[in-house]
Amino acid sequence: MSAKPLICEIIKQNATEKEILWLNDKVKSDSKTILTAFVATPRFIRKTIIETSDNSLAEPVPGWSVKGWSLDRLVRIYLLLHLSSEDKTSYFKNIETLFETGEINELVSLYSALSVLDFTEDWVFRATEAVRSNIGFVFDAIAFGNPYPARYFSNPAWNQLVLKCIFNDKPVHLILGLEERANLKLAETLSDFAHERWAAGRKVPAQVWRLVSKFVNETILKDLIHLFESNDKYDRMAAALVCSETNFEPAHSLLNKFPELKQGVQNKVFSWTELEIL
Amino acid sequence: MCLNHDNIQQNPSHFEGSPQELALATNVQENFMDYIKDLKFFDPHIHMTSRTTDDYQALADAGVVAIIEPAFWLGQPRTGLATFKDYYSSLIGWERFRSSQFGIKHYCTIGLNSREANNEALAEQVMEILPLYLYKEGVVGVGEIGFDDQTAAEEKYYRLQLELAKEAGLPVQIHTPHRDKKKGTERSMAIALEHGIDPGMVIIDHNNEETVKSVLDQGFWAAFTIYPFTKMGNERMVEIVKQYGSKQIMINSAADWGISDPLAVPKTAALMKIKGISSEDIHMVTYKNAIDAFAQSGQIKVEDFENPQEIDQSQTFNGNTILRGGQQPRIDKNAIVIR
Repeated sequence: MSAKPLICEIIKQNATEKEILWLNDKVKSDSKTILTAFVATPRFIRKTIIETSDNSLAEPVPGWSVKGWSLDRLVRIYLLLHLSSEDKTSYFKNIETLFETGEINELVSLYSALSVLDFTEDWVFRATEAVRSNIGFVFDAIAFGNPYPARYFSNPAWNQLVLKCIFNDKPVHLILGLEERANLKLAETLSDFAHERWAAGRKVPAQVWRLVSKFVNETILKDLIHLFESNDKYDRMAAALVCSETNFEPAHSLLNKFPELKQGVQNKVFSWTELEIL
Repeated sequence: MCLNHDNIQQNPSHFEGSPQELALATNVQENFMDYIKDLKFFDPHIHMTSRTTDDYQALADAGVVAIIEPAFWLGQPRTGLATFKDYYSSLIGWERFRSSQFGIKHYCTIGLNSREANNEALAEQVMEILPLYLYKEGVVGVGEIGFDDQTAAEEKYYRLQLELAKEAGLPVQIHTPHRDKKKGTERSMAIALEHGIDPGMVIIDHNNEETVKSVLDQGFWAAFTIYPFTKMGNERMVEIVKQYGSKQIMINSAADWGISDPLAVPKTAALMKIKGISSEDIHMVTYKNAIDAFAQSGQIKVEDFENPQEIDQSQTFNGNTILRGGQQPRIDKNAIVIR
């Protein structure tokens, strides 16, 4: 089943009769009316938080969840799904105009919609513009709970997303596909980044070390030693978790020097979940 | 900006005042904050695009909880449509976000300013894109529009934008001219009435002692810009409130790229308090009247800035409030060491 009827169902469960009437009228209209309706949505649709236990959207769009969204955000996406894509050029022109003139909440809806737009793979450049954005809400819309980057970003674009997230002290665990897209380049850059932070007397959020587990080498081993020596218990926990996950033998010997932490990992007293601090 | 006084005279950003005001304005009240503890302010005219982040911090510290940024000219003429588009987008995008980091709710008015209305070829294109912006969330009016030189082109685009406002059901924020102000103000009001616009939907800005009576008598909102050296001083403002009361009157800073003061509203509130204006009147002219006038757009929810603890759920992720785009950390301005 495609996303469109599923979204329609969720809207029906959450909207008033009056809101549904407005929406039904708009989706039947020409593109210009739909674009105007997209902009004017909050004048007719409440910002009530969507209540749904329905996970059916995960079938057409794995990872996508509308839980916790405001209703106007989803209604805007539903409107976009009614733009004709028969002519690719005018379809892009319409949606690009919305991006170019978008107010913050509109941009959040647009970036949340990327995975269900037509010509899905052609929105990559647009998606990376959100990663470049310094408007927190816009960045969050592409970074968190959004299946688009993991599926369509190149490695450099993916790494930029994750690094910017870490740089801005945002919670990386909310990025979808974090484990699957982990790569050596990212692990190495992360190590460099940590050295810069440490030189400045600053910290790196402990949970980001989960990104290096598969790529531990001599350099990263030194970082793990640094973490074991940290005053912060979360740093020490992170080091122990990496050592237990990696295949790099010297890291196992390192963990043996910290029997208490080793036991903690083995007995599942703590896991990365405990380090997922918002 | 390195404007010397001559430059300001030649090129006033808003309207001019007397040399006496220049002398008076140098006498800044110290500790004005002591007089306005726990007061909330709404500045309905401030050009934050031209201000630094430090000013946002200062506004928040002084109790300014919400502001309106009217679209205006940038000190030099724009040469193409794209820069207009980017400017309007910045008012509803970046500037709105920058403001939110300091807990200040940012609204704007969108319009083609009078100076740039004189470039008719460009003005035509700008008129085409204005409707794209007027229906946006948080756009509380068409503004600032009106007269500068009082040319035929200015009149043409003023009238066209009045019609846009009428169609969108939005208030109109009117800039009154620096030169030939009294006639320009009368003309602006007459044209608005001619277009069948309710004067209660029109905010006439940059008033002074000469214009205020007629504006109030005809039922328009009268806004006053407190702007050092060249414009309305706040001592004169106190006298105006003494004479006319607080009905339909609001004050703003119109702080911009000129030598202006973003704290003009809280400072004037302090001066009013010192000079015996009632708390109720101060509340009206520095907060409530502006809200009442611009809330007619349907785009102002006072809960958004009156209950800062209440989180806008649309800005959260799975209920995690931490992700509200990030509040700016505080820094100690007097510290020599920067970490």
